[in-house]
Parts: sequence; structure tokens; C-alpha cells
Amino acid sequence: MVVGDMLEEVEVLVIGAGPGGYVAAIRAAQLGKSVTIVDKAELGGVCLNRGCIPSKALISAAHHYEAAKESPFPGVETTAALDFAKVQAWKQSVVDKMTGGVQQLMKGNRINVISGEAFFTKPNEVRIMHENGSQRIQFQQCILATGSRPIELKNLPLGKRVIDSTGALALDHVPNRLVVVGGGYIGIELGQTFAKFGSQVTIIEGLDSILALFDKQMVRLVERNLKKYNVEIETNALAQSVEETDDAVKLTYKNKAGEEKTIEADYILVTVGRRPNTDDLGLADAGIELTEKGLVKVDAQCRTTNPNVYAIGDIVPGAALAHKASYEGKVAAEAIAGKPSIVDYRCIPSVVFSDPEMASVGLSEEEAKKQYGDIAVGRFPYAANGRATALNADAGFIKLIANKENGVLVGAQVVGIEASNLIAELGLAIEMSATLEDIALTIHAHPTLGEMVMEAAEVGLGEPIHIITR
Amino acid sequence: MALFEFGLPELGEGLHEGRISKWLVKPGDQIQEDDAVAEIENDKSLVELPSPVSGKIAEIKVPEGTTCVVGDIILTIEVEGDAPAAAPPQQQSAPEAATAQAQPAPVSTQPVAGATTTAQSAAQQVLATPGVRRYAREAGVDIRAVQGTGNNGKVTKEDIDRAKSGAQPTPVEASTSVDSAPTTQGAVSVTGDEVEERVPLPMIRQAIARAMVKSKYTAPHVTLMDEVDVTELVKLRKEIKPIAEQRGVKITYLPFIVKALIAALRTKPQLNSTYDEEKQELILKHYYHIGIATDTDRGLLVPVVRHADKKNMWTIAEEINDLATRGRAGKLTPAEMRGSTISITNIGSAGGMFFTPIINYPEVAILGVGRITEKPVIRNGEFAVGQMMSLSLSFDHRVIDGALGQQFVNDIKRMLENPRLLLLEV
Repeated sequence: MVVGDMLEEVEVLVIGAGPGGYVAAIRAAQLGKSVTIVDKAELGGVCLNRGCIPSKALISAAHHYEAAKESPFPGVETTAALDFAKVQAWKQSVVDKMTGGVQQLMKGNRINVISGEAFFTKPNEVRIMHENGSQRIQFQQCILATGSRPIELKNLPLGKRVIDSTGALALDHVPNRLVVVGGGYIGIELGQTFAKFGSQVTIIEGLDSILALFDKQMVRLVERNLKKYNVEIETNALAQSVEETDDAVKLTYKNKAGEEKTIEADYILVTVGRRPNTDDLGLADAGIELTEKGLVKVDAQCRTTNPNVYAIGDIVPGAALAHKASYEGKVAAEAIAGKPSIVDYRCIPSVVFSDPEMASVGLSEEEAKKQYGDIAVGRFPYAANGRATALNADAGFIKLIANKENGVLVGAQVVGIEASNLIAELGLAIEMSATLEDIALTIHAHPTLGEMVMEAAEVGLGEPIHIITR
Repeated sequence: MALFEFGLPELGEGLHEGRISKWLVKPGDQIQEDDAVAEIENDKSLVELPSPVSGKIAEIKVPEGTTCVVGDIILTIEVEGDAPAAAPPQQQSAPEAATAQAQPAPVSTQPVAGATTTAQSAAQQVLATPGVRRYAREAGVDIRAVQGTGNNGKVTKEDIDRAKSGAQPTPVEASTSVDSAPTTQGAVSVTGDEVEERVPLPMIRQAIARAMVKSKYTAPHVTLMDEVDVTELVKLRKEIKPIAEQRGVKITYLPFIVKALIAALRTKPQLNSTYDEEKQELILKHYYHIGIATDTDRGLLVPVVRHADKKNMWTIAEEINDLATRGRAGKLTPAEMRGSTISITNIGSAGGMFFTPIINYPEVAILGVGRITEKPVIRNGEFAVGQMMSLSLSFDHRVIDGALGQQFVNDIKRMLENPRLLLLEV
């Protein structure tokens, strides 16, 4: 059935209900706008349904299973059993709880939710296709937040046994053999998780290191841990082709030496990056220009070349991170409400939920050297921290990087247990233009992992208490 | 009963802020829609702010003297029934799409940078917390231009306030921090018998200062000075005066000068232009909007007589009087002070003769008029008493040379010497 030409007029239309879109919708509603949000799938987007949240649920379950299999605490004897179907059911309940929460928020903010796929027909109008028809919506202002999807390689077409991250999160059993093509953060998080659940995992990476964008010293700790689970890593390797049979799949690749190799597995997980969802939206007809990389061109208020359309998140330049999308969503909504908000941050934290966790904010040591010349670096090991040792998780370090001239913190990296949470304080310190001295003079509770932040600052100032430097 | 939140509306195109110069209402007052609630001063004028609703004043949110940005809630009003949605100000650069619903809406093909006037982030260049950075944006202050007084040059909210009020930042020396507290508005400082006072400049004065600097540092000024014998014109005005009084119009020399100026512009169109430096092109204006520099208590204003070539002298006289009166009362709208193509400034009314007027940039010329003085002149070999008017023409030497400038002055002189020629220009 096609519903004729019903034309609905809305004040603010948000396209995409992920962590960028739904946050933008709420802020716009708070500022007095009448808001409609449309998504072709579930509220919460990839993040809540097929990304951040479900993967974190599986990572936690795998961590506890592993700890039960082989207790890290001498004297604590454990036995372990895995019912993966129950794990998946619990993961789904976590997802449902979160998306249900978003639904409540939409309702509470009087945001109209439409399920369907939007397509621009005019600079101020979209057609929304849904299961049983379509409708036209004319908007005064629009926020585009359509996110990204996994890149599919031509020579590794997705199939029953060639899967992307969405497929991997939905597996109903733990595969015996899993090959991961792409050693970026998604490949490492999922590869390591299935290795803990008991899969024999091989990682095929095209560059000379996994997690190539991170500090080598940090990556080394993750590599050491992967080795513990017999994960094989092939770097400088290029996937060539796949051959799928009923009960297995064969991957042919060229290794570092240039030799052609074949590896058999139950599944091949392809995690070679994500691409922006900017095709199939009719953006050109709406006067919305793209960069060469297919990202939407925006100004400091996230406004596109169509002055009534804003774009945020994975479809605009910058890191594809949920928290960046949420931030930009608030900026765009405030801009629409006439506020002078702009994208105006000193730093964005990035986190990898590997084991151990890695987190980084601001500049790396090399970047800081290039920008400021003389820098002060304070590095403090987990092994010298009481809480880390008592957790029996003393692998890792915190590194603070400051401009030597004035001591202002410009970057920080953490690898080790709870790095994902420790990075928050460092992001705040950078935004507040705090100095190493400010951090060192702030009392941090004992005994906590947070103390390491204070101690690393003291190292940077040349006056550490709990380590000897010469 | 509902509470209506009154956000500062946009006071004119491109005006994003204004200072609450005076509240005309107090909490508890009953007001009708369109009643004036406050006097708002911006860098162009003083305007009365009408209320969009009828009701009872609930609360005044900002004290007098506060500078507010468009959208700031300045007042709450108790209204009957549901509060109308306080329409947030429309972004000037975002045309309302709804108005274009019948036709395909025009698609902006401008580059992103041109589509908006938004400032870029200064987060990487300036030390300031996120809250202070937002504060600066809302205050309309470019944080990059603010000298921070905090540690390591960190910019504080107080620094933003100071930058906004035009006061110089006072770096606090650690050793003398006890007695050198940051300067506040209107602060008086005493050193021995030397008393100094800091007076914050009103926004109009700040705008004048910026405009003068921009003009003088952009356009290389040349000023030509000349005298013209206006004996005939003085006679003519005397004849017209009683007729003018009957019509209730005050006739000055300005309408004649406006007409003479336009006549000269018709033959020398380069003087009625703007120079586009980027494209290296002269934009000739085929319309004649004459700016009339007007002295007011708050400072210099330049209201505009639009399409002066199409108006007769009576109309021009009435318009100049009206603009001047309302200018002095602070009742001109920003639109009435924009778009002039050339300006006239009159120092004669204050008794002056020759001077070097500053061009009302981006115009390329300004005509300065001095007083009329009786002087001995020689006509046909005989001494006579001439009524001599002094003229000073400043022009932008980038686009106009001296000879052309003088020929232009000569054209004006010819008309003023022989006002009958003006008949041919009507």
C-alpha cells in the first residue's frame, strides 16, 4: 500500500536515532523545539544494538568466564562452565534495557518517533519509506545523524561464514576456529573475547602492528595477553580470497614474506573499518556537499552546505566515536535554537576494551614534541600501585605529557585495568588547562588506581614518591 | 496562568546583542502587548523593546546595564492561559525553509565558510576552561583577542567581562596583588595627587571607534579644501524661508548641497562607489543614498536619505530634520543607518571651516561642509562682499586621483554658486 502524498510539517527532524541523533533530539526538545526522530532500525543505533553496549556485555562475560577457568587469585579455586546461549540472552537483555531507556526519554521529551528510511527529495523535505508505505515530511531544520556501517571487502563478501562485527555479536555458539581480518580495535576486542570463550583465534593485519594508531609500548601489553590465549597474529598480511563450504571457510592470504597461505576456520570476521552512511540519502539533491571521503562538509556549528541541515557523528570528519557524536548533537541542537554553540573541545578520549584496556586523550608524546618542542613526561607503572597489585592486575602504566614551558597537561595515555575510567580525569584536566603541579597537589584517595594519576604527575615534575628515578 | 519567558529578540539584521539601558517596567506591572518594557542600547542606536504578550511582569532577570545576547531570557511575564512559545531568534544565515514550501527551496551553493558567520573553535590556541569558552561565545567576545590574567595566561570570566566593557586587562603582579585588584567599571585610582578615572565606553562609542580605525587604516585619505561663493544661494534661501515656514518645514542649506552632490555624482560616478579589494573591482552604485552625519549626545550617527535623487528638496529637508530629531532621541532603527553610498558632514553648524573628514567606509568619499562667512571678493574687477562657504572633500586615493577629486569639487561649486542650475537637475 502506498499512502499518497500526505505531507507532514515538522520543526526539527532528526535522521538517525543513535547516540548522536537521540541526544540531539533531546537537547532540541529541551530548548523548546518540536522534534521528530526517524530511524530505519532500533532506537539507540549501532552503539546500543550492534556495537559498544552488546560488545561490552560479551567482553565482561568472557572476562568472568576466563577468571573462573583459571583463577587469578592463588587460593581461590574455581571451576567454570559456559552456557553461551544464556550469555547471549543476557546480552540482549542489557541491550533491551538501554533501548527501552531511550524510548522512555523520547516519550518524556515529547519527541515523535518514526520507524523508516529517510531520503531527501528537496532541500527541506524527505520521503520516509516504511514497511507498509511512505510519507513525506517537510522540516524547518534537520539534523543528519545516520552513522556508519562496517566496510565490506569485495574479495571477502559477507556470507554465512564470512561475518562482520554485527554477525559476530549475534553468533549463537562459540566457534572453534575464528579468523579475524583487521587488527584494529573492533577486531582485537572481539577476537580477544572469543579467544577467552575458547576459540582458536588468528588475526590477519595488513599493517606492521595491530592497533597501529596506539603507542607501541601500550600495544605490547595487549599482544602479550593475546599470546596467553594462543592468539596468532599475522602482520603485514593481505587477505586475498575466501572459499566457503557448508561447515567451514577457507581464507587465502599473503603473509609478510609474500608467500600465499591458506587457513581454515568456522568463521571469518572482517573488521577493516567503517564507512559513513552518506550514500542512498539523496544528499546531492538537498544541496548537501560531501568531502572526497564521502563525509559531510560542516562548519563549526555542524551546519552543512544546506543552511537548514546539520550533520553530526560518524558522517562528519573526525574520529567515529559515540561520545563525539553526542557532543556534536548537542552543538547542532543548540545552534538550531539560536545559541552560539560551536564544536569547541581541546580533546576527545578514545578507549579500547582490550585486555588490558587502553585509553588515550589529547596528544601523544611525538605529537606533543612536534607542537611544543620541550615536553615533560611522567610515566608511572601499575606495578608500583597498591590497589593494582591487590587486584592482581599490575600490568600497565599511566603516561602524562605536559608542555614543559608552563606544565600544562596536553596529553595522557593509560594501559591497564580500568584505563577506560581513569582517562576521564585526564580529559577533564586537559580541558581545564590543569598543570602537572595542579594534579600532583590534588589529593587522590588511597588505595585507588586513581592515585597513579597523581604519582605520574609527580614523576613529570621530577619528585615521585613511590618509584626511584635516576 | 502561565509564565512567558521573554528572550531578547534580534533587534535588527546582524545585531546579536544589546545593553539593557533602562527598565521601563517593574515586577507586578500590568502590561499590554506592544507596550515598551525596556530601552535597549546597541552599537547603532537606542530602541524601545515592545512586549510580545499582555500580562503581569513576574520577574526581571537582568539588571540595568547588562549586555545581553539575542535569546537571553531577560524578563518573565505571567500571561492568561498557555504561554505562547517564546520564538527563539531565527539564525540570520538560516533562511526559514517553511516560507519556501510552495516552490522548490533555493539551494545554497555557497561554500561552508560563507554559509555562516560562526566563529571557529579557539580551544587549541587559548587556555580557558570549556565554561569560559562558552561564556565568551555568548558574550560575543573573540576569546583569541582576550589577554588572560590567570595562571599561564589562562582566560577567566572576568577577563571576558573586561574585554566586553572595553577596559584594558590589568595583569595582576604576584608581588602587588593585594592592592592592584583588577579594574572595575568606573573605577577611580589615585597616585599621589594624580587622579585617574576609568570610564567604560558605551557601545555606540565603541562602534564609532572601530569604524574610524577601519576607515583611516584601510583607505588612504586625501582631503581637498576649497571655497565657494554662495551669495546667490543665501539670497534664494532667504526668499524660500517664509514659504517654508508656511509649509512647516525648516529649510537649511543641506537639501541644496545634497542635490548639488548628486548632480556632480552623475558625471563622476566613481565617487559613488565601493572598492572590492579582494576582486580588485570598483562597484559603481547607480542609486544615491546620502548619509548625513549627525551629532548626538551618544556620539556620531549617520542616518541615510535613501534615493535622494528621486526626492524633491522639500522631502529631503523634511527627511533630514526627521532623521536628526529621532537620531538625537535615540529612536532610529539600524536599517535607517545603513546602506549610504556617500556621506555629508557639516562642521559649519558648530562654527568650523576647513577640516579633514574621515570617510564613512566602505564609501569612497565624504563631503565636509564648513560655515558661511562674509569675505571680500572681487567681482568684475570690483570689491564686493561675498558669502563664502568652505568645502572639504576627503576621498579614497586608492581609487580616486586628485584631479578627478578637484573636478568633482568644481562641479559642486558651480551648482552652489549658481543655484538656478539646480533647476536642471530636478
